[in-house]
Amino acid sequence: MRISALRDLLSQQGASFKERFGVEVPSVISDLKTEYHAIRDHVGITDFSSMQKFRITAERGVDFLENLFPGNVAKIRFCRVLHTFLSDENGNLIADCYIANNDEDFIVLCDSVVDDATLKALMNKYGAQEFGLEDITATHVVFSVDGYKAWAVVKELCGADVLGLPYLSVETYRFEEAPFSLFRAGKTSEFGYLILATKDMGPKLLAKLIALAQKNEGGLCGTTIHDTLRLEGRFFNIFAEGLSVKDPLALGLQWMIDFDKEVFIGRDPIVTRREKGLTHKIIGVKAESALEDLKAGAFIFHEGKQVAQVQAACFSYGLNAWIGLALFPVAIAYPYLSFNLEKPDGLTIATIAMPPIMPKSLTVKLDEL
Amino acid sequence: MDQSMQATIDERVAVIQAIKEELIRRLNLPYKPEDLHEDVSLFGAGLGLDSLDALEVVLCVENCFGIRIPDNNIAILRSINTLADYVLEHKAKQGGAA
Repeated sequence: MRISALRDLLSQQGASFKERFGVEVPSVISDLKTEYHAIRDHVGITDFSSMQKFRITAERGVDFLENLFPGNVAKIRFCRVLHTFLSDENGNLIADCYIANNDEDFIVLCDSVVDDATLKALMNKYGAQEFGLEDITATHVVFSVDGYKAWAVVKELCGADVLGLPYLSVETYRFEEAPFSLFRAGKTSEFGYLILATKDMGPKLLAKLIALAQKNEGGLCGTTIHDTLRLEGRFFNIFAEGLSVKDPLALGLQWMIDFDKEVFIGRDPIVTRREKGLTHKIIGVKAESALEDLKAGAFIFHEGKQVAQVQAACFSYGLNAWIGLALFPVAIAYPYLSFNLEKPDGLTIATIAMPPIMPKSLTVKLDEL
Repeated sequence: MDQSMQATIDERVAVIQAIKEELIRRLNLPYKPEDLHEDVSLFGAGLGLDSLDALEVVLCVENCFGIRIPDNNIAILRSINTLADYVLEHKAKQGGAA
């Protein structure tokens, strides 16, 4: 199992750990509710070094990456980031990826549902070694800075020009003379950044980020609360609905695909499924009562028949209710319809339009930070 | 399926389909209507539209349904479903008034 390079520091902060696809990740630092409010109301720092990380020169990278990913890598402008996925040869999801065009090279960050060796074997099959793909997973760390005060933390670390960075962009900054990459990206629906730095910089940089977060009434968070934040914000979660549904089309990820591309891993099965038309797709559901427990795997009934299944669920602290994503037949995959949970006369749940919350970051003005 | 559920779906499908077709046409999106999930974010993550595109989204609703979207109402512009919610709510109010 791959252990976090920052395990000692995270342990000192109270982290509990869990294993996820061959990687140890910091699960919870304090408690989920505290971490939720840190990010929704202030700012949270999270160690996402569990991501698989790769670098390839811009000169050779385009051809290699174009053959792998469904997004159009050739069209990524300088200093911009593409959000796409990686599928297996059957067109089933295996990784949620950011690809950054960062000056002379491309950086690829992956949240995947396969271990390091399996992902590397897939890339090698498509010529990673010949193209010179560098695996920087073990030599680099990734931190996220999320929350409606994330800008304040990153501004203090990098300078005021970070306020002008558009969503899905990348820039290089320095910390104690050493360079690191700052991605303007995030999956909480609050302001978000990812920091990619060398392992050597990790401890000092993380300590600095925690101090800046605490100055802004936030703190260190675990990865588990991000499952709730992603679901509330209707950001795709490879570790929840991605893992159970697998089909990018049923998950509504068509926007990550350039259907004009003639080659990417899993293209033919995905295109065939698109041509046949969707039979099911994922939509939001909400329990009527705060006491009602919504669990992934639960079946949903209508008029005595089982019609759908919950694929991901969480308790939304923002709504004080359980919410989830369920896979419905397309004919009834619409919001504001009532169904029963677990059995034909079970508790009532309703389909909803997602995302069900309005994050502070969409309403805040810069001078309020 | 009971008639009331079918009527709710039919009314929404008509609005959603019109919004999707108009967005694809106005913004030259490289997708078919069925490729656009109704919950996908229009700005930032998701379709990645920018502030210039926002005007086209507003005009899309105004031209298709004759309904004006209030200035600075970000909540309405978040997804196809939130646009449809606004249109259907407006239609219901008009129906109630009539």
